[in-house]
Amino acid sequence: MSDFRPAFEAGLQVLAAISKAMDDKGFRPPVLVGGAAVELFTVSEIATGDFDLVTARQDVLEPIMQTHGFTKPHGLGVNTRGWVHPELGLGFEVVGTSLLDGAADQNYIRIIEVGSSQHVAIIGPEDLIADRMGQYASGTAPEMLEQAIFLFTLSKDLDRNYMEERIRHETAGKYGVSDVEDTQ
Amino acid sequence: MAFQTLKTRNSTISLDDVGRNAARLKTALPDCELPRNSGKRRTASKKALLKAIEQTGARW
Repeated sequence: MSDFRPAFEAGLQVLAAISKAMDDKGFRPPVLVGGAAVELFTVSEIATGDFDLVTARQDVLEPIMQTHGFTKPHGLGVNTRGWVHPELGLGFEVVGTSLLDGAADQNYIRIIEVGSSQHVAIIGPEDLIADRMGQYASGTAPEMLEQAIFLFTLSKDLDRNYMEERIRHETAGKYGVSDVEDTQ
Repeated sequence: MAFQTLKTRNSTISLDDVGRNAARLKTALPDCELPRNSGKRRTASKKALLKAIEQTGARW
């Protein structure tokens, strides 16, 4: 039995189907980032509210999402870039056109198999940790340090040199790998 | 090959393996509770999306 929340796994299955459709058309699949990426790497230790995606081809992705049951929320006062899957109670939102504004190396993206011949692309833990540390360093999100430490502890086979470079970049040189590993 | 259009340096890993590896490594974090995002920095678009999800009756 899986350790992930069933609703989260259902979201991954839908994302995998959409990713395959993108790939079949000759476009790169969207990359899962943000809280859903944290949920995946921490095995639902925190539950996310929706899936944030990065794609350079929102114009291709969104029509595919519609064919997979997503609709644009509408109504008075509703103004969102996101899409909702009413049957599954899922929300997907494109939050960018390049991974961490182009600062992340796409070679570090991880590909997760979520079913037979079903895959999703997800931001690498090195970049996810660096992103959390950047938010922590900004002073607006103190909880992000603990998330970064948690992610570091639960991740295997990290490229420490790349992660050091990325954390330094995201925190304007203030923090490095030692800040997420020496606090146990 | 998982995707024709995306090549990365790491091998594909199954969701089950992610879960198994993390469960094993979690033992190094006794009684540690992962803090959720505070939600203070949500965009207006994000707030509207979460409200729309809530209206479907889903419990995330």
